Amino acid sequence: MEILVQTLVSGVLIGGIYALIGIGMTLIMGVMKIINLAHGQLMMVAMYITFVLFEYFGLDPYFSLLVSMPALFLLGIFLQKYLLNPLLKVDSILPENQVLMTVGIGMVLTEIIRFIFRSDYRSVKTAYSATALYIGPISLNFPMVVAFGIALLLTAALFFFLLKTDLGKSVRATAQNADAAMIMGINAHWITVLTYGLGSGLVAAAGTLLLPIYYLFPDIGGPFTLKAFVITMLGGMGSTIGAILGGVVLGVAESLGATYISMALKDAVGLVIFLLVLIFLPGGLKTLTKV
Amino acid sequence: MKRIATVCLALCMAAALSAGPTLAQDSIKVGIILPLTGGQAAFGEIEKNSFELALEEINAGGGVNGKRLYFIFEDDTGKPEVARSAAEKLITKDKVVMLGGGYGSSETFAIAGVAQQNEMPFLVNTGSADKITEQNWNYVFRLNPAVSEYPSALESFLTEVVKPKTAAILFEDSNFGSGGSKTFQETCNRLGIKVLLNEGYSKGGVDFKPLLVKVKQANPDLVYMISYIMDASLLMSQSRELRLSPKVFVGGAAGFTLPEFPKNAGKASEMVYSATLWYQTLPYPGAMAYYDKYVKKFNKDTEYHGAEAYAAAFVIADALKRTKSLTPKDVRDSLAATDMMTVFGPVKFISYDKKTNQNKLPTYLVQWIDGKLELVWPRNVATKPFVFPIDWEKTWK
Repeated sequence: MEILVQTLVSGVLIGGIYALIGIGMTLIMGVMKIINLAHGQLMMVAMYITFVLFEYFGLDPYFSLLVSMPALFLLGIFLQKYLLNPLLKVDSILPENQVLMTVGIGMVLTEIIRFIFRSDYRSVKTAYSATALYIGPISLNFPMVVAFGIALLLTAALFFFLLKTDLGKSVRATAQNADAAMIMGINAHWITVLTYGLGSGLVAAAGTLLLPIYYLFPDIGGPFTLKAFVITMLGGMGSTIGAILGGVVLGVAESLGATYISMALKDAVGLVIFLLVLIFLPGGLKTLTKV
Repeated sequence: MKRIATVCLALCMAAALSAGPTLAQDSIKVGIILPLTGGQAAFGEIEKNSFELALEEINAGGGVNGKRLYFIFEDDTGKPEVARSAAEKLITKDKVVMLGGGYGSSETFAIAGVAQQNEMPFLVNTGSADKITEQNWNYVFRLNPAVSEYPSALESFLTEVVKPKTAAILFEDSNFGSGGSKTFQETCNRLGIKVLLNEGYSKGGVDFKPLLVKVKQANPDLVYMISYIMDASLLMSQSRELRLSPKVFVGGAAGFTLPEFPKNAGKASEMVYSATLWYQTLPYPGAMAYYDKYVKKFNKDTEYHGAEAYAAAFVIADALKRTKSLTPKDVRDSLAATDMMTVFGPVKFISYDKKTNQNKLPTYLVQWIDGKLELVWPRNVATKPFVFPIDWEKTWK
């Protein structure tokens, strides 16, 4: 029993962070209909920003959210405006060349970071990094709980933005039908730029929150791009609610798999769930909700 | 049409650029394959620095019989298929006289296969899965001990000091990890230690608690872990969080001896034992000098991986000096006749058990005491007495 509870708790906590990673990619997917394969790499950049702020300015990782999120928001805006959108105007040899561009962006970001920081492993060890809260025999890693809490807050804020503000409604309208949105006077071009910025900002938050628990090196982006991709597909491409469900499902499935099957097959468990959902619930987890 | 022409032009230009600089006639080229990018790049960097440090000294001392030695570094990115094509490129395009390097076991095994097929001598300096030298491949030589021999010093320490009754083995599910866990399981069987849990994990995990909870439930006397650096740090710090307290934690080399380990695991790294292949205070000629030179030049610590690479460079130079001609066969014969002393210990390639062309070396046990890695076993070379038994509550406070 104790093992089961500890496993579920671990899974849900990590699932919260996964959800935050996935939501950003989902937003971009929804509005631009492309998979952003630089997603993990953007997260990596945010992690390095957090690392530098901590190492040289002694800034606590949670405060550096206020720097890393806007910084990545601006970086995202720049990338979309000057690298991705211009591709729409060019007719290319291959279709989907925006996706190819994101792969390139990911590689360039990784190599720039490697050039500056080299391949060394870095980590941010704060006083509370290794503190744990104990509820009976169950241990909860303190930074993990905080990260989960902040992830919830950010998600709530995002929903408020999407459902209650004009700008958010424009984002949703563009996601549903870009042409119709344009006819209604929405500047779809600006909306794509904004969305890419938002997606980058959200994944920046995930990176910053993960850093006190995890570690950092230039190639860390790849595996997280894959995770985000799985979550986006699980959730039903483009659905924010779906992405949250997808993140938590993936986290819990990995945890349960690690405990009851084998830690070596942890990733396999996640991917099996992914396949099952694709086969039996082709629309993703969002079809289970009414949103 | 115009677009196709542009693409062709671009491809031609790329090909021209990648042809690279041509080297002078009176030089000898050796291909070195290491993970310079990817998750294991940190180790690749230590090894590349050490190779270059040795190369400078070799060329300053007259090179190979007056000819300049060149190392052509290729990046295997930590993937066997990339390692394979890197080896093919070095052999067919760069026309190297032999190969060196080989970090990860899976990559090394891939390179070794290509080398044997092309009859190209290959000196392995780190890849340690047993099977690499168990294929009867006569062109493949190995400087470092196989992973099954890593815990030999540990064995005597366990029987004489710790005397554990039960053990748990956690390993990274790579060639290196699973090979190591299998032989440690056999060691345990031989010593009469009951293995309660023997489980792999895939590297790069964020949360090891599901695995560690199971270990805690089993409550073994000894926890043996075969992990690379960041997994090692997370395993230990999460063990601390769960208050998992066996008599001893022992790492099977790799991650547990790196300077990054205490930096990342913090207090949780204290009192952890690890098997190791080398330590700078060992009485090998030049060991301490190599350590000092490395620290001075790169402003960073080095450890056994670097020593392996540094020693390998000298073994390569020595073999090339003695060879009759630079044909692969003569280089192979010359390598097989190696009998020299390096900073990593004596090097002589012998065949025993199922292994061929394998160098045999003793191993050691180190412990993190007050944030410093101290050589604690065997007693006659120890730099500090070992700490045992360990009060975890006090250590982790």
